[in-house]
Amino acid sequence: MNGTGRAVTRVLTVAGVPALLVIVWQLYSAASQNFYVPAPGRVAQAFAETWFSERILDDVLPSLARLLAGYALAVAAGVGAGVAIGLSPRLRAAAEPVLEFFRAIPPPVLVPLIMLLAGIGDGMKVLVIASGCVWPILLNTVEGVRALDEVLSDTCRMYGVRGLSRLRHLVLRGASPQIMAGLRQALSIGIILMVISEMFASSSGLGFTIVLFQRGFQIAEMWSGILLLGLLGYVLALLFRRLERRVLSWHSGRGVGRA
Amino acid sequence: MLEVSGLRKVYEGRRVEALREVTFQVDAGELVCVIGPSGCGKTTLLRCVAGLLPPTAGSVKVAGAAVTGPPPRMAVVFQEYGRSLFPWMTVRQNVELPLKEKRMPAGRRGELVAGSLAAVGLADVADAHPWQLSGGMQQRVAIARAVAYEPQVLLMDEPFAAVDAQTRADLEDLVLALWRDTGVTTLFVTHDIDEAVYLGQRVIVLSGSPTVVMEDLKIDLPPERDQLTTRSLPRFADLRGHLYAQIQRARGDR
Repeated sequence: MNGTGRAVTRVLTVAGVPALLVIVWQLYSAASQNFYVPAPGRVAQAFAETWFSERILDDVLPSLARLLAGYALAVAAGVGAGVAIGLSPRLRAAAEPVLEFFRAIPPPVLVPLIMLLAGIGDGMKVLVIASGCVWPILLNTVEGVRALDEVLSDTCRMYGVRGLSRLRHLVLRGASPQIMAGLRQALSIGIILMVISEMFASSSGLGFTIVLFQRGFQIAEMWSGILLLGLLGYVLALLFRRLERRVLSWHSGRGVGRA
Repeated sequence: MLEVSGLRKVYEGRRVEALREVTFQVDAGELVCVIGPSGCGKTTLLRCVAGLLPPTAGSVKVAGAAVTGPPPRMAVVFQEYGRSLFPWMTVRQNVELPLKEKRMPAGRRGELVAGSLAAVGLADVADAHPWQLSGGMQQRVAIARAVAYEPQVLLMDEPFAAVDAQTRADLEDLVLALWRDTGVTTLFVTHDIDEAVYLGQRVIVLSGSPTVVMEDLKIDLPPERDQLTTRSLPRFADLRGHLYAQIQRARGDR
């Protein structure tokens, strides 16, 4: 097959299923009289009108900022505590059952509690996001640090690699495959909690706006918000994958290189 | 240079006596091999000498100073080359890291890294990652790292147990050449009798577990060793046969 043909096949493969879904959606909305399922064209129009406006500044960016702040907080706390717990068998024995308990609590139920403790401002939303994201990061970091190679650890001891240098060159790099896995899980949890935290006592944000549209029977606008969230999650996952590929190039290379 | 006296190691949890009473010494600039039947605590001995494992009784001294943790001027080449190199670093970075930790100035560091990589024949793969190299080449990286560290004492823990026979012969000659050039005091642990006779000026024979020193044998072969001629000397065969009988005896004792 020549280059052009291959490119066409590739585009068809990638775009085929989405196009099919839009067609089914179009056919369904044309055939049904359901008020709550507007045609894709109508939603696309609403999307442009709604989001290419000051809403980007008023709702999308604040949402993203809170997501990033909560996520960053969770990364710092999760990796920090995870390294400490992973390196100390004693701490691990004491902490692990409690950690499993906290992880088992569905994060959204913490919203009412955190509202009482932190009020209804941005701080509450950031805390909700952080409190949900922190567990997969923490537990994966503990796992990764615990599984560090003993021979490599002995090598560090023999060659005087200790303290911060050991943390940087051995602990964090050695645990990075598991840490990255935790970070990936936390990202999707973070997006969910970003939306949920904004559905409570909020005056801005994507979650708030979508609920507002729903209550005002602006159905196409509501759909466009859902679409935006999906796209947002998709783009963030894409960015994350690029970062992961950079950080773990040695890891994937090692797997393939062992031929 | 290296004094091991009355070394005893009992693993507390399992109540296993790995080493009963091990005493020997290695003079400055010597290359001494340690052999023993499998499971006789060679690795335990090496870890105690390296300061990675606290002994139950007895002591290890390097240049007169008691070992309580890894001594600053001691380097180790581990058997598991695939696990002793940092996979996220290049060959050069692997060799350089210990020198950085010593706060060595960059210029001197660069010289040592380049020099030791050239000495093990890896100058042209300095920017590769260890996992891109063959097993024998990876072990060369570990040897280069040890040499660049400029140790007083070099410990090698069955370094060639996991490479093929040809690579192994090359690496043995490499170790001999580096030892001659640097004069570093070397303790070489192996389970291979031929290797011990070929490399060592002396061979220390360990008994089966619980371990004591069975024999401290001087290898009276000509100092210039060669894979072909040395190994076909009648004296080589004598020494080899003698050590083989010793190891068989050690196994029978158990």
